[in-house]
Amino acid sequence: MTTPPWRAAGGTAVQRPSFHPVAIRKSLGKSNNSSTYPTAQALQQPQQQQQKQQQQAARRTQFPDALKAYVARTFEDCPSENKAEVEVSLKKIITDAFENETVWTIDWATYPLPAAARRQSTTNSDKMDISSGDDSSPISNSPAKNNFNSVSKGSKRKLSSRIASDKNEFAVTRPDKKYKKTSASNYSYEGPDAFKRLDKRYKRHQTKNVFSHYNAMHSALDSPAFAPIVGRATNLEKRYLRLTSAPDPDTVRPLHVLEKTLELLKSKWKAENNYSYICDQFKSLRQDLTVQHIKNDFTINVYEIHARIALEKADLGEYNQCQSQLANLYSEKIPGGHPHEFKAYRILYLLHTCNRTDMNDILASLTPAEKEDRAILHALAVRSAVAGGNFHRFFKLYLDAPNMGGYLMDSFIDRERLAALAAICKSYRPDIPFRHITEELGFENDAECEAFIVKHNAGNFIKTKESSKDEGNSKIVLETAKALPTIEGAKAAAFKKVDIKGQI
Amino acid sequence: MESIIRAWRTAHAEENGKLLASTISLTNTDLEEFAYSTNPARVAEDIFRSLEYENNASRPKITNKTGLEAWAEVYVAFWKVAQALERHDEVEWGQVYAATKDMTQAVIRGFQNGLWDVWQLEVLYTACKYLRYVAIRSDEAKRSNGEDTWKSLEDAARVINRAFNVCLNDRAELAQSRKWGTYYIINILFKTYFKLNAITLSKNILKALVANTTEMPDLLDFRTSDVVTFKYYCGVIAFLDEDYVKAEEHLEMAYQLCHKAAQKNKELILTYLIPTKLLTRRQLPSATLLKPYPLLESLFLPLAKCIKSGDLRGYDENLARGEDWFVKKRIFLTLERGRDITLRNLFRKVYLAAGDSKTRIPVDHFKAAVSWKSGVELETEEVECYLANMIYKGYIKGYISREKGMVVLSGSNAFPGTGV
Repeated sequence: MTTPPWRAAGGTAVQRPSFHPVAIRKSLGKSNNSSTYPTAQALQQPQQQQQKQQQQAARRTQFPDALKAYVARTFEDCPSENKAEVEVSLKKIITDAFENETVWTIDWATYPLPAAARRQSTTNSDKMDISSGDDSSPISNSPAKNNFNSVSKGSKRKLSSRIASDKNEFAVTRPDKKYKKTSASNYSYEGPDAFKRLDKRYKRHQTKNVFSHYNAMHSALDSPAFAPIVGRATNLEKRYLRLTSAPDPDTVRPLHVLEKTLELLKSKWKAENNYSYICDQFKSLRQDLTVQHIKNDFTINVYEIHARIALEKADLGEYNQCQSQLANLYSEKIPGGHPHEFKAYRILYLLHTCNRTDMNDILASLTPAEKEDRAILHALAVRSAVAGGNFHRFFKLYLDAPNMGGYLMDSFIDRERLAALAAICKSYRPDIPFRHITEELGFENDAECEAFIVKHNAGNFIKTKESSKDEGNSKIVLETAKALPTIEGAKAAAFKKVDIKGQI
Repeated sequence: MESIIRAWRTAHAEENGKLLASTISLTNTDLEEFAYSTNPARVAEDIFRSLEYENNASRPKITNKTGLEAWAEVYVAFWKVAQALERHDEVEWGQVYAATKDMTQAVIRGFQNGLWDVWQLEVLYTACKYLRYVAIRSDEAKRSNGEDTWKSLEDAARVINRAFNVCLNDRAELAQSRKWGTYYIINILFKTYFKLNAITLSKNILKALVANTTEMPDLLDFRTSDVVTFKYYCGVIAFLDEDYVKAEEHLEMAYQLCHKAAQKNKELILTYLIPTKLLTRRQLPSATLLKPYPLLESLFLPLAKCIKSGDLRGYDENLARGEDWFVKKRIFLTLERGRDITLRNLFRKVYLAAGDSKTRIPVDHFKAAVSWKSGVELETEEVECYLANMIYKGYIKGYISREKGMVVLSGSNAFPGTGV
């Protein structure tokens, strides 16, 4: 058997050992240039090939189904600017496969795609340690990283300075006070406007875009030395497993498979509503996207769907992970998705975590367009109501939340109810009609309200009061003064630090 | 080159830190001459020779061979800075940054190896100061190219943090200790962290400082300018932590110590001191205080007037008008709490209008007042909600009787702290 030239090229080093008896690679890791020269063996046997060609002529028009799928796969994720190149290499692969009679034996399902068909692919794909370096990591995007480590070593001092310091052992005055001397030199000291002078001096340099050289150098360093992998797995479902080593392309699903996976998961969620299964599947789906560095509208779609499902199931930890990824994706100006909807969620979420610093940041980042969005306006109104303790308006907004904002508000509604109830118990005397509480605190009915009060051990303070004026009509009231200490305790417990995994 | 190296010698003869620091300053008037005085192939040798010559001419000699080598490293790096700034038609700030970083690291090494004395700390200050400046320019340049990055400044923060540790952890006697440089470097670090929006890192610095506090000289023995800046940042950090009592303490001290001509600094301090005092003491700034600061005056004064008169609508409008600036300064969420005080003042007026020692006032009266002053017709429930909050927060002493639709106020001191 011969080694066809395209095989000797070694353009795809992540190949599995092939089961067909063709490929003995002679030049692993060599560049593509070698493919322009046929190997010596190939040159020795032109005649044999000619004979075979004639024999195979009949079978030529038939294509294996697996090959058809392979071709489809090639073009699916192919950047449009590379199409021409891909066509050429694809033609070569297929022609060679026919000529070498391997077309029926090659396992097309696992066969590597032509290099040009992959986004950002490079030749040294055997190094795919995605965890190396900040630059290649798809996750880190925050300006404030906690890696300002410091090195400090003990210092040796000059002996002379020690001796010198002995002389003035009583003086612990500031050293620069002692050494104040005037200089004969004509140097000007740093004035307070040193930076202004600098700005002025080098201003001319700012007008033009002159950093291209530096940038080019920099981005060359930045570009991931370790190319993202492209998966070869074809199974739609996969259990989530936290990666502890470099991902194996055989267990990673490529984009076109993931798209089918999402459809499957959506229909399963509708049919079965099994959250632990869905969450697990979405996590592995997200992982496959991450290790392949796939960042497009599909990625946004996956995160948004998972975030919504997590919200519905009150899984705030998982929701928060999706949300922080989404924030990154939106900020990278990847088209698609619902940035306004999720910004509104983010505001509500920050209310839940009582994170004032981030709340200030998000207020600062709002654009005029965002300030007119219905969902964001609602979230801002909620924020303002919470800040001002205006529980009357807060619970009205709760009942009128757009999208899935209500689910998020559920996470802190009890806390706010307790705060409102504490204020009510403190301020109303001698009691407060039970119905008033139900209405003011946004309960659907008296029973729900009663359950809430009983849950917080204040059930004893609900009393029936005989009204003297109304003919025998009795009223249910809450004894505010007696209930206050209990409610205060419950409120304090509810406002204790909110801690959620994956908090950003 | 001669003039710079000669200044190096003069500075040593006089033990003049400022002069010494000016020899590595980016605003040095001889920068251009220095840049053209040698070339990349010869720079190391030329500078070493020059230093050696001045050293040999000094009586007594300034330093030994190791010392000369350390200085040569600094000046070679500085020459690269000068070259990047002066010898190109267009400055490439990335290059300037890389060279300035080398220079700063060479300075830090010099101190770390115990080669230099405390009077030379000015050199460290200057290096760190310009490192931060150049890093910002380098990032700006890249951002104007569409790259969203703070990498240079983050990197600079790490280098300056090393300088901080070199100062803080010096165990020499106080008179000779680099600890005297700690606050200057801390202030540069704070500035950097605030710019990077990494305020938590500032807290780490404060923690490291507290751990070393016993061996530190008293804060007030440091340069007043350092103390003011330090106290200002401590105040802002406490403010952002909502620890307003501490914030007031720090900011008050910064304000008192601040040089009377340092208008800009006083404005910065007041930006945070005014909202702080609003919360801790319910104090409002006077027109006289704000007079010298047109920006503060235009934003805070109308707000203060509305709070005083209980003008809810005016308060909301003025808060919204300044929102962008308030949010940028991170004082919006704090100022927002001033609404409670506005409301309290309005309710107090209702109480006063009702006549002497009248303790029972219909909820409807409060409702009318709020509706009038906020320009929106409110529901009774919402007004009750306001009243309940006022009572709960201790702004009003009394209770609401829902059955009778009345607010019953305490006979004495119904509005604590207002003389009523």
